[in-house]
Amino acid sequence: MSFQRFLLRRAIMVVPLMIGVVFITFMLVRVGSLDPVGRLAGPTATQAEFDAIRESLGLDKSLWHQFAIYVGSVLRGDLGESWLSNRSVLDDIRERAVISLELLFWGVGIGTLVGVPVGLRAAFRPNGRFDQFTRVLSLLGFSIPTYWLALVMIFVFFYLLGWAPPAIGRMSLLVTPPDPITGSYLIDGLLTANWEAAWSSASHLVLPVICLAIVSAAPIIKQTRAIAIEVLASDAVRYAHACGLPERTVRKLVLRNSAVPVLTFVGTELTGLVGTMSLIEFVFAWGGLGQYGLNAIISGDFTAVQGYVLTLALFSVLVFIVIDIIVHLIEPRSELS
Amino acid sequence: MAYGAQTDLAERSAFSVFWNRFVAVVRLSPTAAIGLFIIGVFGLLAFLAPWIMPHDPVAAYTDRVLQAPSAEHWFGTDGNGMDVFSRVIYGARFGFGIAIPAVLLSLAIGVPVGLIAGYRGGYLDEILMRFFDGLRVFPSIILALAVVAATGQSLFNVILVLGLLDSPVFARVVRAEVLALRSSNFVESAVAAGNPTWRILFVHLLPNAIQGAMAQTAVRAAWAVRISATLAFLGVGIQAPTPEWGAMIRQGAEFMVSGQWWVAVYPGLALIFMVFGLNLFGDGLQDLMDPRRRAAK
Repeated sequence: MSFQRFLLRRAIMVVPLMIGVVFITFMLVRVGSLDPVGRLAGPTATQAEFDAIRESLGLDKSLWHQFAIYVGSVLRGDLGESWLSNRSVLDDIRERAVISLELLFWGVGIGTLVGVPVGLRAAFRPNGRFDQFTRVLSLLGFSIPTYWLALVMIFVFFYLLGWAPPAIGRMSLLVTPPDPITGSYLIDGLLTANWEAAWSSASHLVLPVICLAIVSAAPIIKQTRAIAIEVLASDAVRYAHACGLPERTVRKLVLRNSAVPVLTFVGTELTGLVGTMSLIEFVFAWGGLGQYGLNAIISGDFTAVQGYVLTLALFSVLVFIVIDIIVHLIEPRSELS
Repeated sequence: MAYGAQTDLAERSAFSVFWNRFVAVVRLSPTAAIGLFIIGVFGLLAFLAPWIMPHDPVAAYTDRVLQAPSAEHWFGTDGNGMDVFSRVIYGARFGFGIAIPAVLLSLAIGVPVGLIAGYRGGYLDEILMRFFDGLRVFPSIILALAVVAATGQSLFNVILVLGLLDSPVFARVVRAEVLALRSSNFVESAVAAGNPTWRILFVHLLPNAIQGAMAQTAVRAAWAVRISATLAFLGVGIQAPTPEWGAMIRQGAEFMVSGQWWVAVYPGLALIFMVFGLNLFGDGLQDLMDPRRRAAK
């Protein structure tokens, strides 16, 4: 199958999924008992005012009609206005997405770079001391509430040791932000040779990144171990052993054969990690998309919640597609099954 | 059956079957036993809370606000002057009180859905599976948060939402087993003997397809405990000063930068241990019930 046809097929397969996603997002706020009209109108509103607001929000139409309108506006890239900030939700999200992506990139990147080798090493000697140790460690990582870990880290590294800057935002308030190029203070600071800003940004990044790395490494260790153990028991590896290949070569083979399932797993994990990251953002007052979304949920800002949830889903779908493409490129035969 | 020598099942009482399996679990998987022990300790704490707690968990000693841990208040006092130790113990009740009904609800919804989808197949199966795929694209914590925030914030609602959102996990597992069993001889003979569909589903298929779902229960309970605490931490669902661990961490968050660590640290430790225990037990359970994972050990 040619690469173009592969891409086309993937794109078509996404369509029903996206319809389902948009429907779930739409229903998310309709099933609620919260009354946005009452919230917007205030306690002194007359019946006429109620009706006017209801009409302006399109809530007087039937559910299917509303859904059709919603799909139409989503397709046009219009996510509506935040009812609280009176700003376009799309602009809000666009501004904050980069801020969150920066955190996600470092956190999950480091988590993967640590998790995969640890998982592999545990798999090479199952039930050995290292395996037992990392098994408990990764189960512990599964069990620690992210926000609690973040709070404890702030207590230890800011309050007790004074190593970390105060956990408010991405950069010290006393430092002028660098000229925006990418939206990441660290990269922009480095690009514009604004060393002070880059340093401040980096020091603010350390704690949240470590937090996210710990949380993301735990499942990666566990899954990498399981995958590598399966590969080790495969015919290919047994054959390699039987041929008398040196251990180093066999391990390279294991690594090569584990790459695709591990990569796929990290991709699927990203969905949940974006949710976890929002809690880290919340504790560190990061000001990214996650914190925006949580605040929208807590304060009942429906349009913002919809936009946020839809963005997350879109991100997951996008990650799935990218992973699919990478897998296709490094292992074309995976298409056969 | 997964373990233990099988004699004539009918001759043994339900309790002795249970006991033999229990011993087998402990012997085969020490980690599962440790997990079970931790869960047991928390179970005792929750059950005996009124007798263990030195103070009323919601009594505010206004003259002893934010006191460090001492002989009188083992875990110190919080910003309202409430005894953190008593509150941590009482919090175990919320852990079980949310996790058990939520998982039971997930089973009650997920298992029949999985049975029917797997047995019937066709469009119904296809639509359900696509819907579950769609749900998977959302981070579970965000979905739970948004639905609880939208449908009303009460303990009952938290349980309902967690149970609903987690039911696809069980539906998937059961469906996969039913698909494998659907064309086996015992099902075909049951059909040929003229059993009604519900009887085939719940009498013939259910006992053979439930094992995978049961193996998941402990891990899903850990999930429910964790997510419900997260909701409370964000002030969604359960509100302070309810002695729930997540809500207590929320109360203690502001004191972490001024040095009163005990308000948030102790409920967090309790939460970790309970979730850890459930995960340990669940991990062992999955190892024992999944022959492939057992072989890998």
